[in-house]
Amino acid sequence: MQNSVLEVAGAEKAFGSTTVLSGVDLAVENGEFISLLGPSGCGKTTLLRIVAGLLSADRGTVKLSGADITGLPTHMRGVGVVFQNYALFPHLTVAQNVAFGLKAQQISAGDIRATVAKYLDLVQLTSMADRPIRGLSGGQQQRVAVARALAVSPKLLLLDEPFSALDRKLRELMQIELKRILREVGITTVLVTHDQEEALVMSDRIAVMNKGAIEQFAAPGLIYQKPASRFVLDFVGHSTRIAGTTAKTTDGLLAIETAFGTLHAQSGYIPGSPVTVAIRPERISMSMAQETPPSVNVLSARLTDIIFQGSKYHLLFENQGDSHLLVEAGRIPEGMAVGANVHLHWSLEDTLVFPGAQE
Amino acid sequence: MSDRTPDRVALLALPALVYMVIVFAIPVMVLIGRSFFGPSGLSVTPYIDFLSDGFNWRVIFNTLRTAALTTLVCLVIGYPTALALSWSKGFVQAIMLVAIILPLSVGVIVKAFAWQIVLRRDGIVASLLMATGVWDEPKLLLFTETGLVLGAANIFLPFMILPIYSVLKLIDPSLQHAAATLGAPPVYRFFRLSLPLAASGIISGCSIVFSLATSMYVIPSLLIGDRYQTLPTLTARAFLLMRNERLGSTTATILLFLTIAIVMLTAWLVRRREVQT
Ligand SMILES: Nc1ncnc2c1ncn2[C@@H]1O[C@H](COP(=O)(O)OP(=O)(O)O)[C@@H](O)[C@H]1O
Ligand SMILES: [Mg+2]
Repeated sequence: MQNSVLEVAGAEKAFGSTTVLSGVDLAVENGEFISLLGPSGCGKTTLLRIVAGLLSADRGTVKLSGADITGLPTHMRGVGVVFQNYALFPHLTVAQNVAFGLKAQQISAGDIRATVAKYLDLVQLTSMADRPIRGLSGGQQQRVAVARALAVSPKLLLLDEPFSALDRKLRELMQIELKRILREVGITTVLVTHDQEEALVMSDRIAVMNKGAIEQFAAPGLIYQKPASRFVLDFVGHSTRIAGTTAKTTDGLLAIETAFGTLHAQSGYIPGSPVTVAIRPERISMSMAQETPPSVNVLSARLTDIIFQGSKYHLLFENQGDSHLLVEAGRIPEGMAVGANVHLHWSLEDTLVFPGAQE
Repeated sequence: MSDRTPDRVALLALPALVYMVIVFAIPVMVLIGRSFFGPSGLSVTPYIDFLSDGFNWRVIFNTLRTAALTTLVCLVIGYPTALALSWSKGFVQAIMLVAIILPLSVGVIVKAFAWQIVLRRDGIVASLLMATGVWDEPKLLLFTETGLVLGAANIFLPFMILPIYSVLKLIDPSLQHAAATLGAPPVYRFFRLSLPLAASGIISGCSIVFSLATSMYVIPSLLIGDRYQTLPTLTARAFLLMRNERLGSTTATILLFLTIAIVMLTAWLVRRREVQT
């Protein structure tokens, strides 16, 4: 990894007897935008603070552009941070906030003014330059925080849940806006979030964190289509899950006995293992035909509910019992109504198998 | 909530207003009046007499100088203490607060006498300075300005710590972190962030201690004595010893206006800061 801007190796951290990080490895390439995605309390902020030098890890190293910065104080690292509450300086104006870091360096007044103007322009706050911080909207505050962090030209930018204080509409707008700004600057960025949509929309790669460890680090498409663990499957997106037990593998095709009949998958489990079959709901096709469609995985079930979701529908199916199967569709096929018996089918590639039979 | 008009809110301040008028405003008016009205009617002669005497300028200077030094000592000791208090949590913080507030319940006279013991030639301060080799021979700290300032600072310290602490505890700790991530070293952060943010507390603390120190009477009486006159001790002398009510009310009025000027100046400084931020 010659090109890594950030390299965290074996980071461990405990507060008292609670382990918050248990051996995190993370490498971020130059110019990349990655997300640390995980539920609240999984250690995202802790990892970010260790990278910024605001907290020291119990074990492990942090490297920035190849140089070991594990013991370096924060102000000597060149790691910019946009804090969750923005942490703007309340006694200074917008422009003075952006100038704060520049003034701490040996830079001429003229250069400082030019740099401040450049970054205020980048975040479209030029007209607000002399406003006090108090009275700015959440979106404006966020842009000041971004301009302030970028103005000192850090090697790496860390964003800690920067959109959590904004309402939904503004959040979506700011996500696009921030991506534009960061692409323009070309800075390597780590975004911390618990919002999967945000991570999917913004990132080149996503590191899914659970209980102080990274479970999968991959491109958004892979995270969604090939989740590496049951946790990633459940945390990112919806899925339809069916418990079963593996049977024999024939011709590279693994048979799994379930309450819905025999299903097939690619992976190699030894016979007799309890497993869960999972399918992303929009990958399931429906057909009303009498004869079963030509697919390795077909089951028939009764439609019990149709939930309208605006741009799409969620359809709930069951067969003899309490198993609810979720299917997502852009439109309801002709003639399909609640109570209908429907064939559900999906391809081999879309069949995910995880150890343990918990739906 | 909305029917609480300003008039009715003002009503709540009425008891305090009545009380202050009776016990404070009327006597002060009488006092000020006495300085201007003599046997020959309205005149400013006492002021002219007082201010044309060089000794009295010395007294005013003493008053302001002691107050300024006391305020400085309180600030230098009080700011780090307030900082420690704002960083501490739970039990430690409770203990610290008690340690700061409890001494207020001990009378000023008791404390001043205690300081007499501390500042003696064989007192603890002299012994310490001797033991560490700072002094070669024991000296008397009692009845010196240094002794007075040390004693006064000790007594007024809580009035410096508490206003600063009340401001510091409201400062978001992530501001320091943000400044560090912007490449600002600790000294820069102190002068450009910590101090400006704490300014309103520092200004209030200084103005309270300075006002208290300009008007202290018992402490200078016991720690420095008659050789060193300040406006309050001179006022007391005029009333109690010289039985000169006109002189006493004149010095008291001068002291009053000095103090008011200081309080107004600091109030203006604080307001200017708030407009800026
Ligand atoms: N300074 C601290 N002292 C004790 N526990 C902490 C401290 N900071 C964080 N924690 C704990 O560590 C865990 C992870 O926190 P954090 O990294 O903030 O999670 P996240 O940002 O993913 O929500 C939480 O359970 C939190 O309570
Ligand atoms: Mg967090």
